[in-house]
Amino acid sequence: MRFELTDEQQLIAASASDWLHDHCDFRQRKAGLLRDGGNPATWRAMAGLGWLGLPLPGAYGGLDMGAMECGLLAQALGRHLVTEPLIDSTLQAARLLALTGSPQQRERWLPGVVDGTHRLALAHAEGSRLPWDVPQATARRDGPDWLLSGVKRHVLSAPGAVRWIVSARLQQAGPQAVRSAQVAHAEHRSATVALFLVDPGAAGVALDAYDTSDGGRAGDLVFDAVRLDASSRLGVDESEGEGEGHVDALATLHRVLAEGIVARCWWATGAMQAAFEQTTQYVQQRRQFGQSLSAFQVVQHRLAEMAVLCAEAQAACELASIGLAQLSVPSAAASRDIAALVKSKVARAARYVSQECVQLHGAMGVCEELPIASAFRALMAFAQMGGDSASHALAVGRNLLADGRFALSSTLGEAQQPTSVTAATTAVTTVTTTAATTATTTVQKETSA
Amino acid sequence: MNLDLSPADTAFRAEVRAFLDAHLTDELRSQQSKTSSMYPEPKVSGPWQRILQSRGWLVPLWPREWGGTGWTALQRFIFETECALAGAPLVHPMGARLIGPVLLRFGTEAQKQFYLPRILSGDDYWCQGFSEPNAGSDLASLQLRAVPEGNDYVLDGTKVWTTHAHHANRMFALVRTSTEGKRQQGISFLLVDMALPGITVRPIATIGGDHDVNEVHFENVRVPIADRVGEENAGWECAKYLLEFERGAGIFSPRLRSQLKRVADVFHAVDDLPDALLQRFGEMVADVDTFEWLELRTMGGLAPGASPGPVSSILKLRASRIKQAIGELGVDALGEAGLRWRSDAPGARLPVSVLVPEYCNSRAFTIFGGAAEVQLGLIAKNVVQV
Repeated sequence: MRFELTDEQQLIAASASDWLHDHCDFRQRKAGLLRDGGNPATWRAMAGLGWLGLPLPGAYGGLDMGAMECGLLAQALGRHLVTEPLIDSTLQAARLLALTGSPQQRERWLPGVVDGTHRLALAHAEGSRLPWDVPQATARRDGPDWLLSGVKRHVLSAPGAVRWIVSARLQQAGPQAVRSAQVAHAEHRSATVALFLVDPGAAGVALDAYDTSDGGRAGDLVFDAVRLDASSRLGVDESEGEGEGHVDALATLHRVLAEGIVARCWWATGAMQAAFEQTTQYVQQRRQFGQSLSAFQVVQHRLAEMAVLCAEAQAACELASIGLAQLSVPSAAASRDIAALVKSKVARAARYVSQECVQLHGAMGVCEELPIASAFRALMAFAQMGGDSASHALAVGRNLLADGRFALSSTLGEAQQPTSVTAATTAVTTVTTTAATTATTTVQKETSA
Repeated sequence: MNLDLSPADTAFRAEVRAFLDAHLTDELRSQQSKTSSMYPEPKVSGPWQRILQSRGWLVPLWPREWGGTGWTALQRFIFETECALAGAPLVHPMGARLIGPVLLRFGTEAQKQFYLPRILSGDDYWCQGFSEPNAGSDLASLQLRAVPEGNDYVLDGTKVWTTHAHHANRMFALVRTSTEGKRQQGISFLLVDMALPGITVRPIATIGGDHDVNEVHFENVRVPIADRVGEENAGWECAKYLLEFERGAGIFSPRLRSQLKRVADVFHAVDDLPDALLQRFGEMVADVDTFEWLELRTMGGLAPGASPGPVSSILKLRASRIKQAIGELGVDALGEAGLRWRSDAPGARLPVSVLVPEYCNSRAFTIFGGAAEVQLGLIAKNVVQV
């Protein structure tokens, strides 16, 4: 067991912090606000630092980093309230493409993501409380092509992306499109959901682009029988017949969505830590009634409450990233639980800290001159992205109560055997996890009388 | 950071499990599960402590030559986790975890030779005489007088909120031996035989209906000067060490999880749970999981007996509040069934008789051992540094 970051992880965190401190202070940050893709100069610089390829395969210019490294970078970005869509493009869309795309698809799109030439966006959510539902958007066969129809909502940084990765359920293939029995069977059993690369300029695509409360950009997408050629589907290179192994799109999608939730929790933790530090400084400088605000016990106790929540948020993020790093891909069910737990913890902390930071700043907390108001809005937006904390807590509470895993130590690891599959509308196989990355431990009974 | 257990730690865990399988009886488990007060009665903790002692696992933190185990912090965490999740009784901490380490650090050779084996054997059951009617969170204002007379101190005054004084045959007490100088400098640390003439123990009725705490009156009680630990007027140092040691040694998260298991029993037994309660259950799991890592990460790198520093206030505050929140969730889940006071319906599956008093008793956890407000002050001063 190891209780500290590795040297390399510390270096990533420190160098990201340093660079952002010099190049993305509160004034400089403004150049990227409410702008598709953020500030182009910042984006290019991030590419130069290697950040845009952090979790991506080395073969495409990436750095092959894991969940903890991505989390630490996200935390540094959060400290500076960075709105450039690194999480959306690199940690979500490109990561999903790297895991599910064919070699040709990866070769075509990943290098450009890594070097900052273009961005990708992940279009999955359709307005439900949690991101785990099977999409209502559909793709049906039309000759060799697919016809995509449906609506995607609140697609973060969709405007200006070169391609969207769109999730859709597959409709029954027409007789002319039936391929080998094996592939058809696999699709019927598990792959009712597929992922498509969609050109935002394609006929039948409508984009309602808008600003988001955290200073970013997003869009609602409408697809009206958008024609996609066979090579648009991720993971299945149909031009090459049976050669390509089929990837379970939904499980991998859930895994990547969970990684995104964890990364945003890191971002939020960085944002609340920075806002807390600024608030601590402010109440030490600000004098009223003949003394600094920090001399009042009521203020001291509220700072202490915030310090506790920041420490807990940090611990929750670490635990989540350790958990993700320990899981094989996709491990959808376990990833969903990890995401739900960390989101519940961090969102509750973020709510309290963001409100208290505004309150202790007095009127300065509600004006735009200081970063506090921006941090407040960013943390509000964080709470809303990727499923609200109440819905996550309800879902994970139900799951863990049903299978008894709530009773297991969260740190000492345990071979787990779910006794029931309760995930809302999806039936995804759970991968058993072990503390040791190698040895497979025997399943232990833990839920004793 | 990773959670990989080494082969040695995995083997250790298996050893602990095998031990628990073999020696933790259903009877002991059941008695611990029926405990709503802070500590189980001596008739529950005593037999379990004898079992632990026969295995050499009663006082992990003591030096090996006095019966310690030499475990790493992680091994202690594994041990506590396995014990809690298996439902083992709590070890009564007053002897093994509080006075023991103080004697090892400050006691004379004669005191160690006499008292330490009696803790291990269970011959002595200790209580802590710190709080007084006018000295709660502000402990240094204590007034119980100890006046030297010949070979004795003569004690007059009152200790209060003394947990299990009615079971204890010995008390370690802070007494006032001087009113000169700083308040902390006039305090001495004494070991008191509870059978001495002039000591009266009176129960205090408390919120959960359990008999946990007492008032202890001292009237002309003669305690041999030889039973003083450390120098006269240097008792505050012993007390500080004891409190620090307790903070470094306390492992809270496993017991929080076992408390959550009891609440889950209610969830399983109730049919029409509202979503609001399931949501809170999910939040509690998130809280307990997070706290567990926070605690393990804090302790994991510490040498045995080392103090974790200011973060211990964060751990104390969170552990006490999470305990309260779990208790609250339990009574909320019971609904009207929770109206029964300290009894269970015949054949009922709901542990009403435990959960309701336990919730009431849990309110004390943010009061004793440094109230939540004291911890917040310490966090502001030492962590936030304002």
